[in-house]
Amino acid sequence: MTTYPGAGPVIHDPATLPSDDNVNAYTFCVELKGSEWFLQKGKMIAYYGSMTFEGIGHGRLDRLVRTSFHSPLHASDWVVASGSGKMLLADRAFDVNSYDLDDGNLTIRSGNLLAFQPSLALKQSIVPGFLTLIGTGKFVAASNGPVVFMEPPIRVDPQALVGWADCPSPCHHYDHGYMTGLMGGLRAMTGIGGASGEEHQFEFVGAGTVLLQSSETLMEEQATGAVPGEPGVPGSGATTGHSGPQGGTPRLPGQLGDLQRRFGL
Amino acid sequence: MFRLQGSKVLAVDMTGDAVKAKNGSMVAYDGQMAFKKLSGGGEGIRGMVTRRLTGEQMTMMEVKGHGTCWFADRASEINLVNLQGDKLYVESSNLLATDAGLRTGTSFTGVRGASQGNGLFTTTVEGHGQAALLSDGPAVVLRVSAQFPLVVDPGAYIAHQGNVRQSFQSGVTFRTFMGEGGGEAFQIRFEGDGLVYVQPSERNTIAGDV
Repeated sequence: MTTYPGAGPVIHDPATLPSDDNVNAYTFCVELKGSEWFLQKGKMIAYYGSMTFEGIGHGRLDRLVRTSFHSPLHASDWVVASGSGKMLLADRAFDVNSYDLDDGNLTIRSGNLLAFQPSLALKQSIVPGFLTLIGTGKFVAASNGPVVFMEPPIRVDPQALVGWADCPSPCHHYDHGYMTGLMGGLRAMTGIGGASGEEHQFEFVGAGTVLLQSSETLMEEQATGAVPGEPGVPGSGATTGHSGPQGGTPRLPGQLGDLQRRFGL
Repeated sequence: MFRLQGSKVLAVDMTGDAVKAKNGSMVAYDGQMAFKKLSGGGEGIRGMVTRRLTGEQMTMMEVKGHGTCWFADRASEINLVNLQGDKLYVESSNLLATDAGLRTGTSFTGVRGASQGNGLFTTTVEGHGQAALLSDGPAVVLRVSAQFPLVVDPGAYIAHQGNVRQSFQSGVTFRTFMGEGGGEAFQIRFEGDGLVYVQPSERNTIAGDV
């Protein structure tokens, strides 16, 4: 075999590639031994061995999908890799990391999840734009910059939030002094008088772990699929029985309140 | 002599010799340097015509002098490659610099190029010396050998070297057209003996959508 001295720091072959571990901070290697992994479309960059990638939602994989994939409307963004060999996953040169869940639950921003073992069940979170993984197994997630783990109680910037485990209480928090009254409204609307851009946070309390990325660059959102249009389902757009004071106008995501309320009228 | 300063800046120490580098990639130098635009990448009239015809455009400059010159391009990661008489195939957009002694040229890649959205032709670098490649995120170097062929996504491929055959494999089935494709419909298969460089990111290719 030819050798190429100095042809880059490390040369990998199937024997030296790690099994279900990071190759470097940006590339993750998954070993398949007749097993299966769910992965987001287009995140495989290379593989050794023989593998097939199948879109889910048809015949052969029906049993697998029934037990571990619970977002039927989201199915076209995911594929199942099966076969044997080693496969490299990466996503737009973002940091990737694997996490082990042991009979646990973790909720993650939909664009950050790259791949997961079928022993985990994927479900849509009640919080729009987030997915929840439940069970035991490994999953791979991407983030812009390394992930830091924080203990609640904590308030975090919405753009830096990657996900959370075991915390049952994600909620919005508004900096009260900034957001109420006439001056607060003016500040928030115009930026005059110094809007810090940090008036709104997500708040977590209780036992658990919060995952943050070390930048405020958001990953491209992955559609999580529509939720049933029932009253009481967040994000479903169904009327909730009584129409509120501003019923009718569509609400922008992150929109706080209407002008009248902001100015205390 | 090529060396990396950090992972995104290439430092080249020169004592009267020359390097070829992507036009405009110099970020600093000390000592005495002369920069000369190389028309047609220094490949002569024939090379120029070939590049114009194939669309594999590459604007290179020749840097010559005494001292140290630093090169970088849009904070991309840089990977060094040592060539000992073998041939490196690289996309022209991923080539940052080569020793002046290395010959560059153009070669036909066949249908792989088309799936990558990079045209049907690729740049070759041949001879003895060093070359620097650009990648989006640090490249992973994968060995291809007789018992371990490698399959690569066209969007993540940046370069390969050695005696490697490449073939194109397509997973397009009727399901692709129903929107239930595997998401990895176009793949390049490498067989033989050599090295393949892949980046942890995918360019936008027509293959990315099917």
